[in-house]
Amino acid sequence: MSIKYESQKIAEYFYTFAVVLFLVQVVVGIIAAVQFIRPDFFMLNFNIIRSLHINALVVWLLVGFMGATYYVVPEESETDLWGLPLAKLQFWATVGTITAVVLGYIWMGINPQANNPIMGINPLNEGREYIEAPRWADILIVISVLTFLFINFMTMLKTKKWTGIQGTLLGGLTFLALMYLPGLFYTKSMVKDQFWWWWVVHLWVEGAWEIIAGALLAFMLMKVVGARREVVEKWMYIEVGFVMFTGILGTGHHYYWIGTPGYWLWVGGIFSSLEPLPLLFMVWDAFRTTRGARNVTNKAGLFYTVAHAIFNFVGAGLWGIIHTLPQVNKWTHGTQITTAHGHLAFYGAYVLLVISMIYITLPAIRGVKEFNTSRAYQSFWWMTISMIFIVLTITGAGMVQTYMERLMGLDYVAVKATYNLWFWILRAIFGVGFLYGVWIFVVDFFKLGREPVPVVSAAPEKA
Amino acid sequence: MSNKAARNLFLFGSLFFFVIFLGLTYDTLGKLDQRAPAITEEVNAGKMVWHKYDCIGCHTIFGNGSYFAPELAKITEKKPKDYLKKFLMNPKAVNANASMPKFGITSEEADKLLAFLDWTAKVDTNGWPPKPILAVAAGVGGQELTAGQKLYQAHGCSGCHMINGIGGTTGPDLSHVGSKRDRDWLVGHFKDPDDYVKGSAMPKVEAAQADLEQLTDYMLTLK
Repeated sequence: MSIKYESQKIAEYFYTFAVVLFLVQVVVGIIAAVQFIRPDFFMLNFNIIRSLHINALVVWLLVGFMGATYYVVPEESETDLWGLPLAKLQFWATVGTITAVVLGYIWMGINPQANNPIMGINPLNEGREYIEAPRWADILIVISVLTFLFINFMTMLKTKKWTGIQGTLLGGLTFLALMYLPGLFYTKSMVKDQFWWWWVVHLWVEGAWEIIAGALLAFMLMKVVGARREVVEKWMYIEVGFVMFTGILGTGHHYYWIGTPGYWLWVGGIFSSLEPLPLLFMVWDAFRTTRGARNVTNKAGLFYTVAHAIFNFVGAGLWGIIHTLPQVNKWTHGTQITTAHGHLAFYGAYVLLVISMIYITLPAIRGVKEFNTSRAYQSFWWMTISMIFIVLTITGAGMVQTYMERLMGLDYVAVKATYNLWFWILRAIFGVGFLYGVWIFVVDFFKLGREPVPVVSAAPEKA
Repeated sequence: MSNKAARNLFLFGSLFFFVIFLGLTYDTLGKLDQRAPAITEEVNAGKMVWHKYDCIGCHTIFGNGSYFAPELAKITEKKPKDYLKKFLMNPKAVNANASMPKFGITSEEADKLLAFLDWTAKVDTNGWPPKPILAVAAGVGGQELTAGQKLYQAHGCSGCHMINGIGGTTGPDLSHVGSKRDRDWLVGHFKDPDDYVKGSAMPKVEAAQADLEQLTDYMLTLK
């Protein structure tokens, strides 16, 4: 197996940056986990570590999507990428911007006063969760994303194939770019601040990103099991359609308690309860399509694709629906239950998605037909079992917190520092297990196709 | 279903729901200012301080944030402002066990931040966060028990009746009794339950008229 178009190799640049950031994300995640037990541990305070943890996550997934898109679009359009040098420039400019933002966070961690507003704008950190990046970085990120969209659009224009997969993928990415805009202006009201902030956060992860996931899932099913395009694309439309029908108004489940009118309790409660349905369709779709598949060469790719579909449903769907009804959410909102949902949802829906895409496209980029899959499975089980236990410990902590703080009225700090202490210790231990899995994956990423394959029949062929 | 039909369902269906969402957004934005006090310059300056120190990197506000430190939207209702101000400027000097580091928040910044948190405390959040039911029942939720609540405890009413999930199940649930009965009914019923509910097993409440009035005051708050 090898790539059809030389320019598809650009994907590897993005994958490499994504994988490095993934490692950084998990290392700082463990520091944060230890700070739950000892807040003074480490030279940077929790707020900086946490900003790094969630920003590294968002950026590496976005960069992973970009790499995947640069691979998919030439293949679907049956032509080389338009403006390859521009794509490389976009890559290095993005790396430069992200590095500058990270250095800014660290500087602010050492000297909080360095974030003093200059002409009303915080120069290092906007102090808004997930979109902490300062305004100058926002603008550079927007330019990067627009350049990226432009290159892919121009590539499509070259042959005008307009396949469903690339149309949906680009549609999802355009929606993603548009939904970054509501996070770019300042509002004096904290209520309006959070109202627009959820447009970015919710309409990304439960809208645009799920559209991208649907399109990439369709592409991967075609690649690994040779599923028929017409069937795969039809189900893709139905899946991403239902994602939008439920997800857009599902935004209402974030408008229960932030100062917004009461009708959102109804709108959010009803529509967000339906949000797991399209994720269940995806699981069914993945099983139905792959069940009868024979002669699959990329077994690791298939494995990760199906695992992604399952954990997308479990993490985003099941762990979401348990606390989405207002009657329940009234007690659990803002507790560790949300953290548990966040961890399993991001892992299942997007971490496994990007890793699946890497395992499906990287062998072709490296020009190998088969590769040693033992590390791929090892890292999967280390990561997945560790993540399940991380999520179970945080869910336990969330239940204790909901009961003791919210129902009984114990002090927040008392619950966190004493009753939940063992959960934090266990979580940190499972975090190290997760890091070990990530490390195996990172090693595999750099070694894949570059070492002899144990099976004799699988001689590597030149790209 | 043909592929084209599926695609159209996706495109036009999404558009349909997005238009509804835009409509609700328009309506909501028109109502937000009535659900919160006016924003003064000081409140806005406090919000800027909130962002400057990345407070949301540890705390939550309206339940959104980092879950590492306490929720702050209603904090000024719970703790005295003098205490909060001293704490903000040097947390460990006020409470040696505090996890919060000293950020260098100035006296002026602390005042602004508290004005901002005073504002968030007054936002109508559809009743969130709910009062902890056990603490409220036990009168340790940060507020003194009213005379009526004390009488409710002294007479052992909760042996049979339930309020907000706490109490016995033998008598009727009183969580919403205030919206069902009026003052005359309640006072009269306390004096002789059987007069009002035929065959009632509830004993007469042996107490002075003033006490019965106070107990009734409490009942009428349960809505």
